[in-house]
Amino acid sequence: MHNPFSHPDSRRPFESAPQTEVGDELAFHLEQRVRDYVSRGMDPSTARATALERFGNVTSVQRECAEMLEDERRADARRDWFEDLRQDLQFGLRSAARAKLFTALAVLTLALGIGANAAVFGVVKSVLLDALPYREPQRLVRVFARFRDGSSERGALSAGAANDVGIRQRSFSSFAVFQTTAGDRIYKGDGGTGIVHAAWVQPAFLSTLGVVPALGRDFHEDDARGDTAFAAIITHDAWQRLFGGNPHIVGASILINGIARQVIGVLPRDFVSPVSNADVYFALSLPALLRDPVSSRGSHYLSFVGRMKPGVSVEQAHDDVDAISTALSREYPRDDGPFQLTTTSLRDAMVGDTRTPLLVLMASAGLVLLITCANLAGALLSRTISRRKEFAVRVALGAGRGRLVRQLLTESTLLALTGGLVGILLALLGLSALRTLALHALPSYAHLTLDSGTLVYTMLLALCTGIAFGVFPALSVGRANMQSTLRDETRGTSESRRSRRLRGALVAGQIALCLSLLAGAGLLARSLWAMTSTPLGFNPNGLLTVDVQPPLNQLHTSEDMASYYARLEDQLRAVPGVTAIASASELPSGSMNSNGLAIEGAPPPPSDQMSFITYVSVSDDYFRTLGIPLRSGRTFGPEDRPDAPSSIVISSAMEQRYWPHGGALGARIRLGPDANAPWKIIVGVVGDVRNDPLRADPEPITYASRRQEPTMGVSFIFRARGNPLALAAPIKRAATAFDADLATHNVATMRSLLSNGLAGRRLPVVLMTAFGALALVLASVGVYAMFAAMAAAREREFSVRIALGSSRQAIAGLVLRQGAVWMAVGLAGGIVGVVMVGSLLRNLLFGVRALDPVTLGATAMMLLACATLALLGPVRRATRVDATTVLR
Amino acid sequence: MFNNDSGLLQGTLELLVLKTLSWGPMHGYGIANWIEGATNDVLRIEEGSLYPALYRMTRRGWIKGTWGVTENNRRAKYYRLTAEGKRQFQEQTSGWERFAAAVTLAVGSAHAPSWAS
Repeated sequence: MHNPFSHPDSRRPFESAPQTEVGDELAFHLEQRVRDYVSRGMDPSTARATALERFGNVTSVQRECAEMLEDERRADARRDWFEDLRQDLQFGLRSAARAKLFTALAVLTLALGIGANAAVFGVVKSVLLDALPYREPQRLVRVFARFRDGSSERGALSAGAANDVGIRQRSFSSFAVFQTTAGDRIYKGDGGTGIVHAAWVQPAFLSTLGVVPALGRDFHEDDARGDTAFAAIITHDAWQRLFGGNPHIVGASILINGIARQVIGVLPRDFVSPVSNADVYFALSLPALLRDPVSSRGSHYLSFVGRMKPGVSVEQAHDDVDAISTALSREYPRDDGPFQLTTTSLRDAMVGDTRTPLLVLMASAGLVLLITCANLAGALLSRTISRRKEFAVRVALGAGRGRLVRQLLTESTLLALTGGLVGILLALLGLSALRTLALHALPSYAHLTLDSGTLVYTMLLALCTGIAFGVFPALSVGRANMQSTLRDETRGTSESRRSRRLRGALVAGQIALCLSLLAGAGLLARSLWAMTSTPLGFNPNGLLTVDVQPPLNQLHTSEDMASYYARLEDQLRAVPGVTAIASASELPSGSMNSNGLAIEGAPPPPSDQMSFITYVSVSDDYFRTLGIPLRSGRTFGPEDRPDAPSSIVISSAMEQRYWPHGGALGARIRLGPDANAPWKIIVGVVGDVRNDPLRADPEPITYASRRQEPTMGVSFIFRARGNPLALAAPIKRAATAFDADLATHNVATMRSLLSNGLAGRRLPVVLMTAFGALALVLASVGVYAMFAAMAAAREREFSVRIALGSSRQAIAGLVLRQGAVWMAVGLAGGIVGVVMVGSLLRNLLFGVRALDPVTLGATAMMLLACATLALLGPVRRATRVDATTVLR
Repeated sequence: MFNNDSGLLQGTLELLVLKTLSWGPMHGYGIANWIEGATNDVLRIEEGSLYPALYRMTRRGWIKGTWGVTENNRRAKYYRLTAEGKRQFQEQTSGWERFAAAVTLAVGSAHAPSWAS
C-alpha cells in the first residue's frame, strides 16, 4: 500500500514544486529591489549587484524556505487525509442510517459468516495450534505398534519391545514407558469406598513431559523398586475430590486396593495426561514386567513417550525406532514380527481422529464466509448501482474517482467491522454450545475459548472481507462512464450487460458453494444415520450396564472369584425390575482386548500376518440378555467347568473368515501369546455384533466362558422392565448389601454408551448441517436480493416491452430464464465442489459413497426449491410493472 | 541590537511582520519596505532572514501565503494573517509593550541604588 502522506501527487492542483515556488517569490523580491534602485538613478547592473548583496545568500535562504514549505505541504496532506476519512465515515454512517434494511441485513449476514468462522477457528486453534501443556512440546513423540494385519494403527507396545527401544535408541534425551489405559482401583477413605483410575508410569514420566508436581516431589528411580516403595502422585482433581484439598496431603497414607501408599506429590491443576485420565500414578518397574517370559513380549499394554534430543527431527527419531523395530522383528519373529514400530509427534497422537472433522469444519466455515462475501458483494453492487446517479453528480461536482472508490471502501470496512463485532458475540454463543456438544469429541487439553489470537484472527477476517467485497462495487464505480450514467439515469435505460453478468456470477457462485456444503452435510448425516440404523447385532434398548470391582484381598483363586460372582449375580438378579442379567470382561466398544490367533492343523501364518481377534469372556446368559442369536452349536452352560477343556464361541464373521466351507464346530484354536497353552474347542457360532459403531462391517469375535476364564473387574448388563436407569439405585443398594467393600461405577444405559462412541462423528454432522442451513438461508437471501435488484433495474425495459404489446407471461419468462441460467451454472459449478468435499470427507463416510446420487439429488432439489421461492418475489414484481407510471 | 548593522531579535521580527500584515495582505518585499519605513529606517530588515521567518510563521499557522497579482501585473506571493495570527499579534503586542515600558522605566530611572552612594 502506498503512503498517502508522501505521495508526489498529493500537491493540490496548480501547485508548483517547493523549490520553484520559493525561487519565484525571491526572484520577485530581488526584481522589485532592482527596480527601486534603478528608479533612484542607479544603473541596472550596479542595482542588481547591490540588491543581491543586500539580500545575502540567496541559495541557502531558498533551500531553507523550500524545506519548510515541503514540510508544511506534507502536514497539509495528512490533515486532508484524516479530514477525508472523517467525512467518509460520517457519510458512511449517514448512508447506512438511510438504508436501514440493507445495513441490518449486511451486518447480520456478515456477523453470521464471521461468527461461524471465529467459533470454528477457536476450536481449531485450541486443538491444533495452541501449545500442548508440556515443556517444549514439539520435542515430544510417542512410539506406537502398527499391526500388519490392519487391526491397529496405533497399538500398544509389549514390555520387551518398549525396553529394547529404550536401550537401543539414540534419538531421545529422556523417555518413559507407561500404561496405556488407567485401571480401576478401589479407594477406601473416610467417605467410603470408591473407584480411582490408577496408571503405572516409569519414574521419568513427568520429567520427560517437563511437568513438575505442584506439591511434593516427582518420582525417583527408587520409587519403582516394587517391594519397598509405595509412592503415589495424585492429580489436582483427585486431591480436591478425595481429600478436600487437604494442604497436608503430601506424606499422607492412602489405601488403594487394600495396599497403603504414600502420597509424595500433587500434579498441577492444568496437567493433562497424554493418555487416558488417571487420578493417581504409581511408579512402574520395567524389569519386573520383563520377568514373565510369555507376557513380557506377547502382551501389548504399554505406551512410550520420548523427548527428542535438541536438533533431532521427528523423521530422524522415526527412522531410528524403525531400524530398531526391523531388528526386533528378526530377533523375535513370533512376538515382534506382527507389528512395526512407528513414531509420531505427541500432538498428532493426542489430536488423533479429531483432525479430519476439524479440517472439515474449517472448510465449511470458510465456504459460509465465501457465500457471505458473494452475498454482500452482490448487495453492495446493487446499492452502488442504485446510487450511481449520486456518484455521477459528485464526480460532476469535482470528486475524483479515487475519492469515490475510497469512500466505498471506507463504507464497506465500516460495515465489516460492525459485522465482525456482532460476529464475535455470536461466536461466544456458538462456543458455549460447542463446549457441551464436543465434550467427547475433542482432546482433553483443548479449552474452547475466544482468546486474543482468535479475536485478532476474527477482526482480520472482518477487515479482509470488508475490503474484498468492497472492491467489486468500487471497481464498477471506477469503470463507469459518469457522464453517460448521468445522462442515462435521468433518461432511463436498463443496467449494463456487464453488471448484470457480474451479479449473475455472484448468484451462481453462492449456489455452487451452498450445494457443496449441503451435499457434504447430507453425506455426513447419511453416514451417521447408517451408523445408528445398521443393526448392531444385539438389542441395546432397555439395557443398563454397571462396572464392578471386588475387594482384592478376599479373592485369592479363580474358584473364589467364580463363586463370589455367582453369588453376586444371584443377588442382583433378584432386584425387582431386572428381567435378565449377564456379565462380561468388557462391554462392546471400539477398543476391546484382542489376542493373536493360531488354528490347529492350519499352517502357522508368517509372523507378520498374524491375526489379532477380539476376545471377551462372558457369562452363560450373555447372548440371551443382549439378544445375540445362536447360529449353530451351543452357548456356554454348567458343563464348562473350570477343569473341563476350554470352550470357545465364535461370531459368524469369524466362521466365514476361517472356516468358509464349514467345520468350525469342534475346531481347536489357541489365543494369546503363550505357544504352550492348551487348545480351546469351538462349541458354538453366534450372530455378529458390531462392537465398534463407527465400523460398517462386524469384526470377528471370540467368546470364552467366565466359568473358565474369570476376570477381576466385571461389567454387569441388566435387561430392565421399563426405564433402565430406574434400576441404577436399587442395583447399587443390592451390591452394597452383598459386600460393603464392592465398588460399583460407570452406571450407564447401553444406548448412552453407544451414543458417546458416536460423539466424535455426530459433531461434524451437527455442525456441518448447521453450516449448510446457514448457507442455504444466506444463499436464498442472496438470490432474492440479486434478482429483485435485477428486475428493478429492468423495470423500465419491461414497461416498454409491455407497452409494445408483450404479455406478462413473457416478462415472467424473461426473469425466470435469466434466473434459471445462473442457477444451472451454479449447480454445474457445485458438482465440482461436491467432488472436492466428497474426497475430503472420504474417511468420515460410512455406508454411503462420496458421490451418492440420493444425497446429491435431494440437496440439489432443496437448493432449487429455495432459489425458486426466492425468485418468485422478483418475478411477481416484474409482471406487475405498470407501463404508464414507469414510462412517465 | 540597536546598531544599524545588527540583526533583529527573532521574536521582534515576527512581531513586526504580524504588525505589517494587520494592515492587510502583503508580499515579502512590501513587508520589508513597510518595516523600514515605519521605523524611520532605524530597523533595516535583513532580507535573508525575513523569508525563513515568513515560512516559519506559515508553518505555525499564523499567516498564510497565496499567489496574487500586484498593481503592475506581476505575480507575487501575498501573506495575510490567520485567526491564530491575529490572536498572536494581540498577545505579542501587549507583551512587547510591557517589556518596552519596563526597560524604559529602568533605563530612565533617576533613583540611584543604595550601593552607589
